[in-house]
Amino acid sequence: MNAAAHSTLSESMRAASGAVCASAGTLSNHPPSRGGSTRIASAKRVGVGGLFHFLSKFAPHPRPLPTTRKSAREEGSRAAVPRSFLASVIAGAILLLVAAHPAAALDFPALTGRVVDQANILNAQNRNDITEKLAGLETKTTSQLVVVTLRSLQGTSIEDFGVQLGRHWGIGQKGKNNGALLIVAPTERKVRIEVGYGLEGTLTDAIAKFIIENSILPRFRAADFPGGVKRGVDDLILVLQGEGEEFKKHAVAQQPAATSDQMSDEAVLAIAGGIFLAICLVIFLVVRSVWRNVKDARSRGESGWSALVPDTSSSSSSWDSSSSSGSSFSGGGGSFGGGGSSGSW
Amino acid sequence: MSSAVTTFSRLVRFPVAALLMGFLLAGCGVNNIPSYEEGAKAKWSDVLNQYQRRADLIPNLVETVKGFAKQEREVLEAVVAARSRATSLQLPADIVTNPEAFKRFQEAQNQLSGSLGRLIATAEAYPELKSNQNFLALQSQLEGTENRIAVARRDYIEAVRLYNTELRTYPGKIWASILYGENKPMETFTIADDTKKLPQVKF
Repeated sequence: MNAAAHSTLSESMRAASGAVCASAGTLSNHPPSRGGSTRIASAKRVGVGGLFHFLSKFAPHPRPLPTTRKSAREEGSRAAVPRSFLASVIAGAILLLVAAHPAAALDFPALTGRVVDQANILNAQNRNDITEKLAGLETKTTSQLVVVTLRSLQGTSIEDFGVQLGRHWGIGQKGKNNGALLIVAPTERKVRIEVGYGLEGTLTDAIAKFIIENSILPRFRAADFPGGVKRGVDDLILVLQGEGEEFKKHAVAQQPAATSDQMSDEAVLAIAGGIFLAICLVIFLVVRSVWRNVKDARSRGESGWSALVPDTSSSSSSWDSSSSSGSSFSGGGGSFGGGGSSGSW
Repeated sequence: MSSAVTTFSRLVRFPVAALLMGFLLAGCGVNNIPSYEEGAKAKWSDVLNQYQRRADLIPNLVETVKGFAKQEREVLEAVVAARSRATSLQLPADIVTNPEAFKRFQEAQNQLSGSLGRLIATAEAYPELKSNQNFLALQSQLEGTENRIAVARRDYIEAVRLYNTELRTYPGKIWASILYGENKPMETFTIADDTKKLPQVKF
């Protein structure tokens, strides 16, 4: 019966269904609190039904989403509404994606781990050693440092490539933006330390320059790439752990040199991390129980939703990265603003 | 019976439909123009912030260079003058939608970039200055700031592109005519200036 009512309503508006945005636009001219609300309400319903009808033509076999299922249960109408609602969600998501992501001009390497050796200048032993150190750094400070060697800068500057690669991978924790990249481009003979927004105060441009000039470049000039990378990583880890006293002495740069402050920061961070994990767990459990209820109620199309579970939120991905030991590494969603320093040999 | 059920379902459905309507309107982009506008404004603040950072570095740099290369008075004075012009420029509140004010801002900053580039090039001739730790630190900070300016400008250009496109294309154009009549397209940096400016500070 519901479906019948729904279809007659949408039938009456089918002619206008393609121009739902336009009809919604005229609706919004009416102040919502004014009289004649029933007229507006019914018009809204018709508009919604019309769009559903319109969109459901394009998405005949949608994957059910949790909200869809919930509303389906509440309403008791299980066929028409969820499918068409999902269609509109998918259409909206596609529009958003198209609007938000213009085609990237650069071809980025895949983030296969904490060491991405595209240029192949490190051996397996080097990679394992560095990966272990970098995983240790993240466990201690949550800062993500990634070493990447590039076959080619694809015609752009290493500064431009670095900031775009850092943003593309999302290195650093979301909200803290505490990521950094050590980028080596042997073809162009360039090296860069790209620093995320959140680390610009700790790993200043001057310190980055100092590490490049004193630790990395002398070894690169002697063609000792693994040595230069390893020494650079060691220095970077020292600085990022707040133990870079010798760098402060050498590189003339004022930075907040309060280890006690950083300790308290770590404590705060640990507590915040615990709360965050607890919230994640609660959300996960709620979502799972909802899913199970729905699964009991309906016995079709579950595989789609269960595949969606780990990917739906960025919080779960940062959870993965902070608890993993490097094998399944992923960026936490941090961003970059062009901080850091470059050098060439 | 059928009509009774229809009334009932109408009552139940109304809040749901209203909720969905909200999502749909958002899907239609009713919020796009204001949110893109805010995004572009935030990026503009970032641009200003980075230019300010550069201006703050200059007095120190000038003092350091003066200690080693007093005779380069002309270059030093040009930097100081360009800096004071750039920082004393009154920015109107509507600078991002005001082509003339935007142009004036851009010109002042470009002038400062040019004179800074000359100052750094001059420093090449003074080995003591080039090996001075203070100068090296300032130089790396200036280098980093120029890079941040480039990133901030690119982010701003991208944000403005999104916003202007939304204003000028459907369905954003409809929303603009109904709800956001006073929203104007924003000014953006010209690419010619970008390519002119970037290689000027060389180390």
